[in-house]
Amino acid sequence: MDMMRRPNLLKYKNYRYFKASSLLLAIAVAAYALIEPAGGNSYGGTWLGYVLGIISTLIVFLLMWYGVSKRHTPGVPDRRQYHNIRRKHEDGADLSDFFARRKAERRTCPAKQSWRYGGTLQGWLSAHVYLGASLIVLASLHAGFQFGWNVHTLSYVLMLLVIASGFYGMYTYLNYPRQITQNMAGDTLDDLLLKIAELDELARTRALGLPDEVNALVLKACQETRLGGNFFQQLNGSQRDCPTALAVQQVQQLSQKFIHDDQPKLMRDLYSTLLHKEKLVLRARNEIMLKARMEGWLYLHVPLSIALLAALIAHIVAIFFYW
Amino acid sequence: MISCLLIQVSRNPQGLPICRESVISGESIQVGRGAACKIHLLDHRVNLLHATMKRSEDGTLYIEGEKDATININGFIVQSAALSPGTRVEIGPYLLTVEPAPDGHDIALSTELTEPLPGQDAAKIYRAAPISLAALGVSKRKLGFALATGIFFVFLMLPLLPAASSAFDKWQATLPVTLTESWNPGPLSGGHSVFGAKCSTCHQRAFQSVSDDACAGCHKQVAKHLAKDDLHARVFKNVRCTDCHLDHRGKAELVLHDPSACVTCHGDIKSKNASTALANVHDFGTDHPPFHITLLNGKNVIRARQDEKGRLVEKSGLKYSHQVHLNKKGVSSPQGDTVMVCKDCHEIDEAGTHFAPMTMQKTCQQSRCHELYFTEPVEGVAPHGSEREVMNQLREFYAKWLAGSPVENMAVCERVGKASGVGNSAKRALDCANELARKNAAATLFREDGEALECVMCHEIGPTGDYDVPWKVAPLHINRDWQPGAVFSHSKHDTVNCTGCHDKMNSKTSTEIAMPTIEKCRECHIGDHSAKGKIRSVCDSCHRFHQEVTRQIIAK
Repeated sequence: MDMMRRPNLLKYKNYRYFKASSLLLAIAVAAYALIEPAGGNSYGGTWLGYVLGIISTLIVFLLMWYGVSKRHTPGVPDRRQYHNIRRKHEDGADLSDFFARRKAERRTCPAKQSWRYGGTLQGWLSAHVYLGASLIVLASLHAGFQFGWNVHTLSYVLMLLVIASGFYGMYTYLNYPRQITQNMAGDTLDDLLLKIAELDELARTRALGLPDEVNALVLKACQETRLGGNFFQQLNGSQRDCPTALAVQQVQQLSQKFIHDDQPKLMRDLYSTLLHKEKLVLRARNEIMLKARMEGWLYLHVPLSIALLAALIAHIVAIFFYW
Repeated sequence: MISCLLIQVSRNPQGLPICRESVISGESIQVGRGAACKIHLLDHRVNLLHATMKRSEDGTLYIEGEKDATININGFIVQSAALSPGTRVEIGPYLLTVEPAPDGHDIALSTELTEPLPGQDAAKIYRAAPISLAALGVSKRKLGFALATGIFFVFLMLPLLPAASSAFDKWQATLPVTLTESWNPGPLSGGHSVFGAKCSTCHQRAFQSVSDDACAGCHKQVAKHLAKDDLHARVFKNVRCTDCHLDHRGKAELVLHDPSACVTCHGDIKSKNASTALANVHDFGTDHPPFHITLLNGKNVIRARQDEKGRLVEKSGLKYSHQVHLNKKGVSSPQGDTVMVCKDCHEIDEAGTHFAPMTMQKTCQQSRCHELYFTEPVEGVAPHGSEREVMNQLREFYAKWLAGSPVENMAVCERVGKASGVGNSAKRALDCANELARKNAAATLFREDGEALECVMCHEIGPTGDYDVPWKVAPLHINRDWQPGAVFSHSKHDTVNCTGCHDKMNSKTSTEIAMPTIEKCRECHIGDHSAKGKIRSVCDSCHRFHQEVTRQIIAK
């Protein structure tokens, strides 16, 4: 609820694109209900079907054009550029220059200023969302709710998948930035990684003088604790049997065992170090997960959009080839 | 007592060794991570107490690993081993090499950390795994282009191939899943599914809609809507088969039951054909003109509107009263008074649309009604047939009767004046039979006066002047199809009484036509919209576009 009270792109200019899309849908639904062509309801082969099909196709092209032109927006990360620079700096050093330059660029074109054709990036995105959602209805009416195992329905299904992934992306854009801010509390992921590395060093140093069992746990926690990982590990944001969590748990148990030893203070210190590390690891994982989820849907949205475009072309050629 | 020179080797950034020497001694020398160990190897992979260097009874030095600790001597994992110059002992990440012992020492050992922990820079461990999706290096667009390529291949290239070669098209049509299947928007109608796999049967030219020629290739006998060729060509110049016949709709019919196409012309029929006598019509429920009845007027077939009462007279030649036959008290018959119903005479044919033609024998003489008796001078039954047949039958009857007992019967001949005369007796007998036949026919069958019985009961008869066949019966023209341009199924309407539509209960003569009017139909049937308790009826509920209007209304 809190989310809905603040301005966001769904509410852009007092729901301008929501209203526009609703009007478009109202006209389309009314036309479908009122115009009864020969042979029952409208479908792709009737004149209303053609009109709905043309409108839907134009919307698809417009939405895809948004995706293409967004790549060239100053201030919006261009991943290829990032990768190229990253590859040159394999050791991860000296990217600060790149980031500083990007930050400067971002300042030159904030989202609320004019972007393309007099619109702002936020406005275009708002339109993208509402027009995309309206395609569900438009394409269904265009098809006359007739589906089968063919290229025509393939286009429809791909379109639904693209829209569904877009809805998820919308959800992440509305919710995750706030969660990221809360989670990071002013830190960056690099800060966290450095802190975790420091704590690892500290834990290892502290464990050196402690029994082998403790030492092995700490070593494992240092070496096998994983942040990030492959696509699904990043989206999942957790590690099964995380060695750090395991170390925290077991060091606590072992400290009971060694309570009468002469190193209770060392154990206590190690325990608190590991606990601190675990907290930071969870935060780092959370950060990676939220960021991955904010980006991950695009790995469906973009390839499926391109596949949809191909299927749409095949659909149109098929229709007119065998008219 | 063991005296050991310990050389600790480390490397500078250039990789050159830096040695630091120290001397350790003791009864035994412990090696491990623990602070108590004399050889102190500070690494997590080394146990607190990893191994111990001892002197054996024969004075040689050996090293012995602790329980659960692994030591590696010259590449072999062993529990203990003798130490001689050149021996390489690996303990965890450390390499201990036995050097030649300088004077004053039992042994010299160099220690070097050969495998530093990769995580010495801990931040690097965490950077080893990708920490962002971008770092995975997967290209969204490449993924998309790969998908698109697959789609283009399967859903665009493969379906286009059959269009390139008809031989290939023929072959691919035999495959279990044809290449063009993915383009098929829906199943074909029943008959067309035979060539469903071969799109080019109907779709003969790329990017051109299905032509009428493609349909006419198979459907050669389709009747035209209009009888006049030039008018048909003019009116239907821009109309294509596919305007009304849509395929790929599966079980839905091929024919569109849509009145709007008909109304395009019939809503303003004069604009299409100024000389037409047809009235405009938009909807059965609102402005359909009164029905036309097709009937005979003399020898001409005429069409009369049902509101033209004066013209609606059937001249069938039959004298018949439905009122008598449908009398609720019954009609007298040889079996006594019998109550008759419509279907006693009107039998519906197999198609369920029309009624089987009625015949004297099958219809009127059932239950021995309307037998054609004659009585003078002996009783007999005449057949129902042409006048000549009847007369011949009578002559034959009397000839046989005379031949049976000539002496007695010739007395009858005297009464008719044929017992004597010219010729021999055989000739006289034949003359007598002829005369008897003629007289008795006049008295009973073809009786024109008095009671209307036998022939004249149903037929109009008159004299011919011919001696052999003196009477002529007016031929019958019983109308079998009052509305030959319409389709009507009696069997589908059998839930309604016949007299519910055909008012025949009180019909006294056969000139009355009792065809239901449009108002009668509208009691149940409405036009092109839905209403509760009513039947939606459009043009092709009764009319057929491709039906040639026939004037064949009389049963042959």
